[in-house]
Amino acid sequence: MDAARKGIVVLPFEVLKRALLQPEASSLLMFFVLFGITAILQENFFEAKSIVRTINSFAPLILLAMGQAIVIISGGIDLSSGAALSLLTCVLTTVMKKDDPITGVYALILAFLVALGTGVVNGLGIGYLRIPPVIVTFATSYAWLGIALFLRPTPGGESVPWFRVFYNMRVVEGVPEVLKSLGNYVPPALLLIVGACVLWYIVSRTRTGRYIYAVGSNIESAYVSGINTGKTQMLACVLNAVLIFLAALFFVGQNQTGDARMGGPLTLRSIAAVVVGGIALSGGRGSVYLAIVGALILGFVGRIIFFANVPNAYQTLVSGIIVIAAIAGPAYATLRRELR
Amino acid sequence: METFLKKTFPWYGWLLGSWFPVQYRKAFTILFLTVLLYAGGGVVVPGFLTLEQILLTLKLAAFIALFGLCQMIVIVAGGGGLDLSVGYTATLTAVLTASIMDGRNAYLGIALLVALVLGLLVGFANGVLTSYLKLPPLVVTLAMADILQGIVNAYVAGKAITGRPSPVLVTLAAKLTGVFPNILFVLIPVAVLAILVFERTKWGQVLFGVGANERTAYLCGIDVKKVRFLTFVASGVLASLIGLLLLGNMGIAFKDMGSNYVMPSIAAVVVGGVPLAGGGGSYFGVILGSIFLQALTNLLTALGLGDAGKWLGFGIILFAMLSVYAGNRRSR
Amino acid sequence: MVILEARGIRKHFGGVVALSDGNLRCRQGRITGLLGANGSGKSTMSKIIAGVYRPDGGEIWYKGRPVHYRNPSEAKRDGIALVFQNLSLVPDLTVWQNVVLGMEKSRGIFLDNQEAKQIARDILSKLLPGLDITRKVYELSPGEMQIVEIAKAIAERPQLLILDEPTAALEHAQVKSLFAYMRALAQSGVAIVFTSHRLWEVMEICNDVTIFRNGATVAYIDFDQEEKDPETIISHITGETVRSSPAERTFGEKPASREVLLRAHIRSKVKSLRDVSLELARGEILGIGGLAGQGQNELLYALAGSFPGVQCEVEIEGRKIVLRRPQDAIQNGILLVPGDRQKEGLFLEHSVYSNMVFPKFGLSRHPVIIPEKKYRGECEDIVRLLSIKVSSLDAPVSTLSGGNQQKVVVGKWLSFDVKVFLLADPAKGVDIGAKRDLYEYIRRLARERGIGVILYASDHEELAQYADRVLVMYEGGIVAALTGEDISEETITATSVRAR
Repeated sequence: MDAARKGIVVLPFEVLKRALLQPEASSLLMFFVLFGITAILQENFFEAKSIVRTINSFAPLILLAMGQAIVIISGGIDLSSGAALSLLTCVLTTVMKKDDPITGVYALILAFLVALGTGVVNGLGIGYLRIPPVIVTFATSYAWLGIALFLRPTPGGESVPWFRVFYNMRVVEGVPEVLKSLGNYVPPALLLIVGACVLWYIVSRTRTGRYIYAVGSNIESAYVSGINTGKTQMLACVLNAVLIFLAALFFVGQNQTGDARMGGPLTLRSIAAVVVGGIALSGGRGSVYLAIVGALILGFVGRIIFFANVPNAYQTLVSGIIVIAAIAGPAYATLRRELR
Repeated sequence: METFLKKTFPWYGWLLGSWFPVQYRKAFTILFLTVLLYAGGGVVVPGFLTLEQILLTLKLAAFIALFGLCQMIVIVAGGGGLDLSVGYTATLTAVLTASIMDGRNAYLGIALLVALVLGLLVGFANGVLTSYLKLPPLVVTLAMADILQGIVNAYVAGKAITGRPSPVLVTLAAKLTGVFPNILFVLIPVAVLAILVFERTKWGQVLFGVGANERTAYLCGIDVKKVRFLTFVASGVLASLIGLLLLGNMGIAFKDMGSNYVMPSIAAVVVGGVPLAGGGGSYFGVILGSIFLQALTNLLTALGLGDAGKWLGFGIILFAMLSVYAGNRRSR
Repeated sequence: MVILEARGIRKHFGGVVALSDGNLRCRQGRITGLLGANGSGKSTMSKIIAGVYRPDGGEIWYKGRPVHYRNPSEAKRDGIALVFQNLSLVPDLTVWQNVVLGMEKSRGIFLDNQEAKQIARDILSKLLPGLDITRKVYELSPGEMQIVEIAKAIAERPQLLILDEPTAALEHAQVKSLFAYMRALAQSGVAIVFTSHRLWEVMEICNDVTIFRNGATVAYIDFDQEEKDPETIISHITGETVRSSPAERTFGEKPASREVLLRAHIRSKVKSLRDVSLELARGEILGIGGLAGQGQNELLYALAGSFPGVQCEVEIEGRKIVLRRPQDAIQNGILLVPGDRQKEGLFLEHSVYSNMVFPKFGLSRHPVIIPEKKYRGECEDIVRLLSIKVSSLDAPVSTLSGGNQQKVVVGKWLSFDVKVFLLADPAKGVDIGAKRDLYEYIRRLARERGIGVILYASDHEELAQYADRVLVMYEGGIVAALTGEDISEETITATSVRAR
């Protein structure tokens, strides 16, 4: 084989090898592998009903992971996302009264404002007061918990019937047939996720989007270049809050209750999803959509554990180990490179 | 904090006096705030300001203060150190040793050994991951907490947790001598020892140095990584031993035994004047901080605000103190 | 046409005067060089013009109006751009994103990336042809990063561009490209101020040169009208004032013997330091000179075992050791007084006592409980010995003056068995009295106790006064050794500037 042809054969391999070395590639690979395993283990995996159920169970984590990714890329981290989610569910189910459909609208507006409020408070602490993000969101997570407990000391509350549209469009009266048949294939959860993606797509193409990356990459350089770093970090927190709001809509649509403690475990899992998806905890880089991949990976791992007949109690154990493995892996690789 | 108070209450500066030794000023401030709290509380809630109540507060605060020691050790050494796994370390120890001791003193020794080993393992893992692999302590210890929680869940799965603490532990942790809670007989020697170690031994001084300026300490020949690694080991072992005391106090082990102490332990350290970046602070301040926080909790409970008020209050106070400290840092 | 004129600029930092009489004139379309030795004030001058510092006195006229910039952004808005080290590049963004950072144009709410890429391409295709502007900045070499930093400043379309040591990180070809671009830029009417420690570069690219010495402008040479004579320039930099002779050089007693105390061999894989070998005799004060940032600090770190990535083998008092960690050096009596006392030598919030006692705890055989009384006594002795002005041993070290802080940094090692003292610019920012105390004490240590001293001083006058031998460093390596009669401030500076 002459040199030119050899080159043509070798080139794709080189490209493939270099592509595989990216952190993003390894997470995508993991995703496909797990997807495959789950598909094999679960018999009816490819049925429409089952796909819908899968999307529904993963939706809250996906939305929270996307929001977490935005905050992490901007140089922060949010330990209060789960608590904020719980708080929003409590707000929604406290304002809504079962028999009064208009309260649903009030609830939506109020919950949105509360969500913005949580984003602003976190953003204030991280961006303007320059308190280390871990500790300030640690503090606010308890503040949200407190308020949520105040509204709903025990899980409960009410929801208006039409709110279920965020979960399952077929069950609600008054929804046109067209949408209902759409709902057979495309659950609202998917629409919410798509909505979140569209939102981020738009933001990422604006100045704010670029600045979020700049501030996360090197805040001093960003500042010296004239970027308002406080505003940028606050906007990242607010975006995160909006995504948490969407997750709350889904949760209440699905369960019609508010629970002050439901979100707790989701916080670390959202961080895990971001890390597993290949986004650096130090900020400044990574694609937000990879957080979706990370969330799906975690979700599939959970599924596999379930199908392997391992009890649910192990979920936290496993997610904890995955987080450590996910962040330790690259760190160990870097360490070995440095030592050489 | 004192500067903030001085600005709002001009006479406070006079009260503090310039003759007061510098290191006790922060402590005095917290004591002052606690007294204020009790005075206010006594007015608003009848029965709040009794000796019994105060001693009860001290008893509960003692546990916060003990966990606060774990946090202080890790935080003082700097580098963003924080240990969120102390709660579940204690819980796991309690769960495991409860069935070993089974209500008798005979196996207390083995229980202690188990606690030590568990604490060493957790601390070792935390230390290696944060210090040598340079992973962020917050995420590592949070994940560790989850792992420990998972182990507890697995161990417990289905069956109820059996076992009771040995009577020695119960006496130490739960009982009183007259009106005086015995746990204070544990806290006071621990506190004295801790303060001695921090102020008068090379270990304490090395910790302060590493937290104050990592580079200077390095150039003086200190192995910074090893020091920070060891702080996590110490925290793990301590947390585990505290688990035994928690077991003695509650009489049984249950899943959420320790997790409610994590936040207050960190808040106590911050309120107690230990900078989160490390390099300074005193355990005496942490103890006072614990007392203040527990008094606040009691007040909120007495006012009928219960759990909700407690967590909201903690969140607000921590946020407020962090803002004040951040403001101080910037005005320099 | 004159675009900037600065007259009589004064600036001091604490007790140290950086500029006593700074003058500068920049013309549109011309490249002005700033030259001067360490501490001459040229760097301070450029920073003042760019708005980084505010002058204590003097006037600055820009485009015919007096200006007082309070921060760099104000200067930027007026069309003055400053480029020094990589301070404003964001590593995770691409080259073109960095070039337009902070001044992105948008179409509606979306960023106009096409325009941004075009701007970047326009500038970089001439500055660094072949650079892929879609690469992320962290992938670039330091030289490439410097070029992107320059491109970023140029994208702001400044009327006055200040380049502070831009060629330090560049390779030869990159310098050539940069110069070509600078000429083109100047032709389009931009005024450029250019500093470099490489004399031949200044002579090649600049139209005129302003020379600083000891905080004042001492010469202005217009190359279009006068000859480009390097010797004249060097004499302006070093000063032709007749010093009060070698008598100024306080000799004291000569070092007793030529007994070699230390032999060091350094093998380096980093760019900032080359492979170096040196010898130090008992009682000798070996000076390290050269322009700032030529590797002197790095050399001392390496000798102290505090430079990972650099291997240092020493033979001290006959024993051969490899210094891998600071402990290795400390245990053998090789003690470092680092260059930045606040960031590397002290715990600012801690007391004088704590600072002085701390290094002892690094020794393995130290008792757990600290013998307070004994140590307090020792510290009091050292305070007296070095004349440290402090109200009490418990005062926080941050309350001390620079000179006294430096004495604490030195003092903390005095209870050790010192064999070699490594001093990195100990008198920087220190008042005259403290400076003299420190140096006198060091010299006494050397002569009376046979300690070897390696002293890096950015002020060549200090070196000339106290050093027995001087090694001049340039770009990480030793380029010259001066002994005996040859040692004077002028010769050291001249050697530093002439180096290639």
